[in-house]
Amino acid sequence: MTPWLPLVVMAPLVGGALAPVIAIAGARLLRAWSLAVVAVTGLAALRLTLEVAATGPFSYPLGGFKRPIGIELRFDEFSAAILFMTLIGGLALTYAGRYAIRGLPAGGQPWFQALMLINLGGMAGFAVTGDLFNLFVFMEVVSVSSYALVALGDPRMAPLAAFRYLLAGAASSVLILFSIGILYALTGSLNMADVASRLDVEADGMPAILALAGLLTGFLLKAALFPLHTWLPDAHASAPSPVSAVLSALVVKLGILGLLRSWQIFAGAGWAPLGELLAWGGAVSIVAGAGFALFQQDLKRLLAYSTVSNIGYIVMGLGIASQQAVMGASLHVLNHALIKSTLFLAAGALIHQTGCRTLYELRGAGRAMPATSLALTVGVISVVGLPPTAGFPGKWYIALGALDAGRPVFAVVAAAGGLLAFAYYMRVLNALYFWPPTHERVLGVREAPVSMLVPVLLLALCCLAAGVFARLPMAFLEPAVSRLVGM
Amino acid sequence: MTEVDALLQNIDYAAAVILFCIGLYVVVAKGNLIKKLLGLNIMETAVFAFIVTSGMVDGGHAPIVTEAATPPFASPLPHALVLTGIVVAVSITALALALIVEVYRRYGTIEADELRETD
Repeated sequence: MTPWLPLVVMAPLVGGALAPVIAIAGARLLRAWSLAVVAVTGLAALRLTLEVAATGPFSYPLGGFKRPIGIELRFDEFSAAILFMTLIGGLALTYAGRYAIRGLPAGGQPWFQALMLINLGGMAGFAVTGDLFNLFVFMEVVSVSSYALVALGDPRMAPLAAFRYLLAGAASSVLILFSIGILYALTGSLNMADVASRLDVEADGMPAILALAGLLTGFLLKAALFPLHTWLPDAHASAPSPVSAVLSALVVKLGILGLLRSWQIFAGAGWAPLGELLAWGGAVSIVAGAGFALFQQDLKRLLAYSTVSNIGYIVMGLGIASQQAVMGASLHVLNHALIKSTLFLAAGALIHQTGCRTLYELRGAGRAMPATSLALTVGVISVVGLPPTAGFPGKWYIALGALDAGRPVFAVVAAAGGLLAFAYYMRVLNALYFWPPTHERVLGVREAPVSMLVPVLLLALCCLAAGVFARLPMAFLEPAVSRLVGM
Repeated sequence: MTEVDALLQNIDYAAAVILFCIGLYVVVAKGNLIKKLLGLNIMETAVFAFIVTSGMVDGGHAPIVTEAATPPFASPLPHALVLTGIVVAVSITALALALIVEVYRRYGTIEADELRETD
């Protein structure tokens, strides 16, 4: 049996728990340790991804106890998202080394690194677990570490934003646990594959529908679909920038992954009528998120609302439920992770160097910080969805899938969302390049330090590569999407 | 009378749902951050009660293997789940209380409507 599967979860969790101890030996060692832990996790994830590409999904029974008694880890095509998690997590940690000097309270560095690693481990666990209760536990590992990470941010807003985030997050977690309890009471099993085969939505009637509704509401709140998004802008805008990148790129996607897992459990009878609801919810979210973003002055709040809009695309693609739309949604989950981390890290570098947060104050920063602004521009073009960047293939296939399913209205919404995104991101580019500076600090500012610049530029490069080589992840996701749609 | 009978038979489930709704109401409607947190704890307790009762069997014994043990047995799994759930709930409560202390230091109030004015 392959030992890589438990390693991918255990390495960051154990590494994170040890981080404060390592920190006693020195800050340099701590940074090397965190990066080494992320690298090991990334290599294990790469190894598993190659295996799943060759042979299809596989399981690992923990402790050797077989399903349904034992707890199993299961690696399928969607679990390969761990690869993106380690990439973005590693770059965010590299970036945070310098950022932390000004952005964190004294002595906060070891705890920051520990929380980031534990957060990563929780996400990896959420992606590979085959057990419903473990799903809940890993979700809580991610959530609790996220609340704490948000609280490390801007001291004026962060504690309150973190508390609001905690309240919304914990309420949705409780709802999900309730649904898991109902599923357990109905089927007597917690193994996802086992629950899926035992659950008969028609015979079980109301309780099964209630469980589905609870899971759906809970996961959509975690994913911040409009109108369940109210906690997101404050939390993502006031967190430290590397944390914003991880939260916006990865943590909200756990809600989407949870939706996919619920779909796998409720395949067939329970899911089909929900497609309509999800598609319309997604469509409203695209427009509403973009609408709010149009009026934001704070750069990071603008990016946060843009996440609401992009989550709308993904949920709409899943709701349309045709082969191409689901493919587009799955692609956009990965590509949006790259794009949004580029944007948040680049914005963080601008804010870190200039000390200004609003578009008005940041005017003219494009000339003073050309490399960071270039990365931000690549991110902006990607998120708008222009070819050949990462935002294009996902949105394109969602629109194609809508036409394919005979729902042109959703294709129109997808295009309109792109136009709105163009409108509000144009304000960012305008401020950076075309308006004269308004703040004297912007004039004398220097380019970001190398340790911040390299992750940002690498991610911008990934945005371009993910657009040009979109066939690669598509071919990889093909079997998983076919299974999901065919169910 | 079948609905009433069904309700009486599942009175424990109904109680859990009612408790859950009370907790949700407190989280949404109350302005004090501590009260919101208490509402959250009520919701969590409701879910734990629901999961524990789902393991009950009429006339069931504790599932401990002794010579005197006779079936039927109650299911032990939900208890183990709830134990983990309680640990999670405690950690969330601790973190939330710490955040409330920090909010109070910063703004001098923990009433949601007064906090909105200071934004």
